[in-house]
Amino acid sequence: MPYSFTKIEEDKTKTIGFVFSFLIFVYFAVFWLIAVLSVTFFNIQATSGSYSFHLVFLPFSQTLLILAFAFIIGYVHWSFTTANLITKILGVLKAEKLNPKDRYHQMFSNIVDEVSVATGGRKMEGVVIPTMALNAFALADFSGQAVIGLTEGMLARLTRAQIEAVVGHEAAHIVSGDCLSTTITSSLFELFSGALRGFEILFQGGGRRGVRVHGRGSGAVIGFLLLIYCLLFVTKLLSQIVRLFISRQREYRADAIAVRLTRDPLSLAEALYAISYRWRGGGLPAQELASIFTVNPTYSSIDEEDGLFSEMFSTHPPIGGRLDVLLDMAHSDVELVVKDIERQAQKPRTAVPEVGTSSAKWVVHKDGAWQGPFDMTQMMTLGWIRPDTWVQRLGGKKVQLAYQEEDIRHIVTKSEHGKQSGGYQCPKCNLPLTEVNYEGTEVHKCSSCRGTLVEQSDIQRIIIRQEVGFSEKIKKIARGIQREARLAKFTAINRDPKTLLKCPKCQHSRTRMMRMFYTEAYRVEVDKCFACGLVWFDTDELEVLQYLIEHSLDKSHS
Amino acid sequence: MIALLVILIALAACAGWGVSVYNGLVKLRENAKNGWSQIDVQLKRRHDLIPNLVETAKGYMEHESSTLENVIKARQQAIDASKIKDKQVAENFLSSTLRSLFAVSENYPNLKADQQMRQLHEELTSTENKITFARQYYNDEVTRLNTAVQSFPDNFIANMCSFEKRDFFELGDESEKETPKVQF
Repeated sequence: MPYSFTKIEEDKTKTIGFVFSFLIFVYFAVFWLIAVLSVTFFNIQATSGSYSFHLVFLPFSQTLLILAFAFIIGYVHWSFTTANLITKILGVLKAEKLNPKDRYHQMFSNIVDEVSVATGGRKMEGVVIPTMALNAFALADFSGQAVIGLTEGMLARLTRAQIEAVVGHEAAHIVSGDCLSTTITSSLFELFSGALRGFEILFQGGGRRGVRVHGRGSGAVIGFLLLIYCLLFVTKLLSQIVRLFISRQREYRADAIAVRLTRDPLSLAEALYAISYRWRGGGLPAQELASIFTVNPTYSSIDEEDGLFSEMFSTHPPIGGRLDVLLDMAHSDVELVVKDIERQAQKPRTAVPEVGTSSAKWVVHKDGAWQGPFDMTQMMTLGWIRPDTWVQRLGGKKVQLAYQEEDIRHIVTKSEHGKQSGGYQCPKCNLPLTEVNYEGTEVHKCSSCRGTLVEQSDIQRIIIRQEVGFSEKIKKIARGIQREARLAKFTAINRDPKTLLKCPKCQHSRTRMMRMFYTEAYRVEVDKCFACGLVWFDTDELEVLQYLIEHSLDKSHS
Repeated sequence: MIALLVILIALAACAGWGVSVYNGLVKLRENAKNGWSQIDVQLKRRHDLIPNLVETAKGYMEHESSTLENVIKARQQAIDASKIKDKQVAENFLSSTLRSLFAVSENYPNLKADQQMRQLHEELTSTENKITFARQYYNDEVTRLNTAVQSFPDNFIANMCSFEKRDFFELGDESEKETPKVQF
């Protein structure tokens, strides 16, 4: 009997019931303790003078009452945690929806669809975390919504087959139901952790401003606050104990299912290896969320150990163990994987794509006569050229309609749709910008001054991805900037209001784009619109920035 | 009296068992049907993508018209096929013609760099994967159904309510059966 996905779904893990019972039990224990202690306390006060201290236990009916109360509070807590769970966690992780125009995102969303087909149509959605780290996670809630998330670094560094294996692994978590329990478990005590942090701030502030409580009851109040603090601290410990419910076996199981799905254990092993030896995103999410990731974002030695203790308290199994199992299936070994990954890292870069060929010229047919020749910039300024105007490339044989000619198609289609289609104009030359696919995402380039207009969110993506290589010219400029930074020789930015650029998007407003360095560490001059987030890079500046960041990262790795 | 009660209870138990087995079989049958329709959707998607692909490739590879014609022919055959068995043969043939098209396209760097071609390639790769996954799902479910229909004692109920075995969606091409990317 094959272990099919429907079968896996039927065998869903039932941890969630235990977690709920545990929560109720915790509340019951806490309330019971409070009740017993306070009754005892009042008892002492009533019989003050005779310091006879003995616990007063509650009668059965009151215990039952406390149980009912604990159930209600526990239930409220439970529903508060599970409502909008996914949206909340995605907010914490700063995850973004996929951009259908982005080539990498397209591929990712395709892969998610593929895997969804493999599970017999379980609905899943892909999201990305815009970070250079390598990791993946899955979330699910009671409503049946399921999300698979990858970091941008993952999309940029791994091959399609490897991403497929990772997504298969995450899908396995979702279908087998352990994703639901980890999602809920990991966020169950988040509420209290927040309260605890608040308390700590309050106590720290106590020294200066102080929780000044005077009068006779002050001791009692402070004692009460301390008691609450202790209870919150206990819940923090409980959130550790809850991890007992998250078995590290689930990772092995998900690996096995992923391999069954893609029939490609080697790719999964390679992906795991790549994740484990690069930055996995430590410090990125709250610690409570670590268990939703495929590899623990923060390195902890406990994960790499065997034995009962780590078996109980670690949420992730040792990578070595997972690799061993996978490589055994693939009849391969770690050395081959390492070689493969290294080869992948050195994959040849393509050249930076050029907009228009500056040398090309065209003659254009107008009013029964041929005019021109015009070069690209001149073509753009011809207001009357239409998609059905006859054109001929200088030196070419064919006479074609303007829209058939690859290189000038954008000119006529742009002027057709005007500004509605997001057709921006170059802030320097006032010529229409061309949409160019750069590093898998869409940027707007001016074919005259070669400046680039980029959406704020895309800059990070472009920096993370490593498709294009850089010319010697770019490297030279970058090295120059680095040298200046080392010598602390800072060129001042020219902020003459006359030279400041208008934002191509918010053109009508009177504000100008701000001229600034990208960051203090990477001193590349950019023009940024603070209203819409568009950023304008002059010629080569984007590439220089990319090279600078990539170079400094390589250095810090080695 | 007691004997009657025992018989009644036994009958009720039998009926209960029968109902649960019947429901189980219905579920399996529906899963398999669902699996089949998934395959169908993906195959149709592939048929829809091919004209675009050929149109895009045409502009770049004028000397490879026979490869392109083969793809078109194979697509038509696949669309015309109605029986499961015929369909398998036609679809496998279509897969192989597509593979040779992509192999040939390696020689045309301009074609490979074409934005639209890149996108179509990605879409087709994805659709091929979906077909594979849908087939895996379908075959898994069919195995479960077939096992249930034949195994004792469920086969009584299956025979009574005319549950039938289903055909697998198999690979015709021997070369495709190799597990990809395994190194020895």
